[in-house]
Amino acid sequence: MSLDLTKVATQVINMIAGLKEKRAEQEKRLRYALNTINSLPIDLDDLKKKIKAGRTTWLVAEITEGLNLRYPLPPLPPDFTVIAADGSHIDVDRHQSTRCYLINTGAVALTYGSKPEATLSSTPQLYSEDKDLAITPPGGGREQMVEGTVLGVKRSVEECKALVDLASSLPPQNPALALLDGTLILWGLEAYPDFVTDALLINGMLKCLDTLKGFSKDRRLALASYISYPRSTDVLNVLRVAICPNDVPDCDKFCPPEHGRDCEGLNGVRDRDIFMNLLEDGERSALFISPSKIVKNYYNEHKVYFFYLRVGGEIARVEIPQWAAENEELLNLTHGLVFDQCQRGHGYPVALSEAHEQAVVTGADRENFRELVESTLTEEHLPIASSGKSASKRTRWV
Amino acid sequence: MRSINTEVSPKIAEVIEASIVEFTAQCYELYEVPPLGALVKTGDIYGIVSNSETTGLEPGRKPIARGKDETSEEAVYESSPQLSKLLRSHFTAVVVGYKRDDRIHQHLSPQPARIHGFVYLCPPEEVEEFSKSFTFLNILLNAYAPIPVEELIFATLKQMGHVRDDSRSFLVAAGKELAKQLSSNITRLKNILEKLK
Repeated sequence: MSLDLTKVATQVINMIAGLKEKRAEQEKRLRYALNTINSLPIDLDDLKKKIKAGRTTWLVAEITEGLNLRYPLPPLPPDFTVIAADGSHIDVDRHQSTRCYLINTGAVALTYGSKPEATLSSTPQLYSEDKDLAITPPGGGREQMVEGTVLGVKRSVEECKALVDLASSLPPQNPALALLDGTLILWGLEAYPDFVTDALLINGMLKCLDTLKGFSKDRRLALASYISYPRSTDVLNVLRVAICPNDVPDCDKFCPPEHGRDCEGLNGVRDRDIFMNLLEDGERSALFISPSKIVKNYYNEHKVYFFYLRVGGEIARVEIPQWAAENEELLNLTHGLVFDQCQRGHGYPVALSEAHEQAVVTGADRENFRELVESTLTEEHLPIASSGKSASKRTRWV
Repeated sequence: MRSINTEVSPKIAEVIEASIVEFTAQCYELYEVPPLGALVKTGDIYGIVSNSETTGLEPGRKPIARGKDETSEEAVYESSPQLSKLLRSHFTAVVVGYKRDDRIHQHLSPQPARIHGFVYLCPPEEVEEFSKSFTFLNILLNAYAPIPVEELIFATLKQMGHVRDDSRSFLVAAGKELAKQLSSNITRLKNILEKLK
């Protein structure tokens, strides 16, 4: 039976009516947020101390400069290259006897200026060996299967490796930007044991970032990840701290759940709402530093900075490693090229959208992949075992 | 299975669809399609280009207008260098004969072209040799083409005439052959002959 849209329609109407009612309240909260950000003192030392000393239940961005600063769009270099990688995967199917997963990595290099050039490619990689299917703790113990969230993280690492490959073959004279989709922060690892972080972050992602940083010493190479329509509230939470009446904010101590909180007047506002009101098209915000625990513990010289960028009718979050953030030339290159990519891509970086097109694995591709595995098993006279649930989904009857 | 191409002249395209009556080939270079009516060859099969088009590489991705703020058409491609990798030019050729034991046969090949077979534009001397006989005109007259068959025949004979010193007498001879084959369809014959004047 397909989805009964007539039954859903009434629920949709009620949902929209609810949103409409909340609009005036949301607008009021946004005004409060904007008034707060625009009335912060120029000297932010006290606020920095308050953030550092505070014990909040939400993550607060580290601030580096005035929160409401705006930077105009820098000029573009005459010739430049943008490289990007994106991935897609087919997860382990626990209903099938053959345990394996596939990562398809799309890689793109676009060169603009006097010698325009494009390279588009995709690399599918099948993983089926024991060492690929599980991460084993040193000295033995309970291993971590590579599937679900962990596979998603492994895919991010593979994307970063593809960027390294692309960067290594770039012509040295052109300034270049390496782009990833989403966040540089491997949040997903926070729920897993340290040996998983060792394998995927320390010996995976961060190694790639080390290499990219190494490349940037010999040439102008910046690295950024692009988050479209971000939901983050890291900067909004700075404002919560700023308006907190307690000298040292401590949510659990002063504001247990049954008590009202002064900062509730900012509920529901996101960073993007604030910066949509602050920034003009092409402008970027001040730089902030991610407060994420995993960044603090592991990223070191790749500590994740971020800024917001106004791209037409949208605010994007751009994350960059510390070495790119502290180098004004690379920071400006990132700002200019990310915006330019969005202009060329009608609102989203064209290199990322092409990398995605290279990587995408459709529903039909997944089915073809499953059939390929099964037909190869048959050719080799091996049994094709699959679960009853899987079979019932594929062969439907009345 | 048909023999694999071993031609040495530059290949222009590669077969991506093939049947007994026609084959479609993707060009290696964007927009570098052979002209309508050109004689092409893949393996030992000859074809006459009956249609060509340039489209998005993937069926779900349609090209969009990009040049509003650009000063020239070249600038559109320069500011989006990926376009040349995302568009493809391809053409369809009607099968009009094949070569076996060094002899040209002007009728359908017993087997279709190979997928991924390289496609070559026939050099003038081969065009001249092929067009010594007009039997292929009958195949064209009965071909299923997305363009009017009269246009296809006109374009083909023009292309074949170009490689000859005396194209006039070639076209006259072709006209006589058409008059024989179209004796029962005077209107069609008139249409073609009008174009050949």
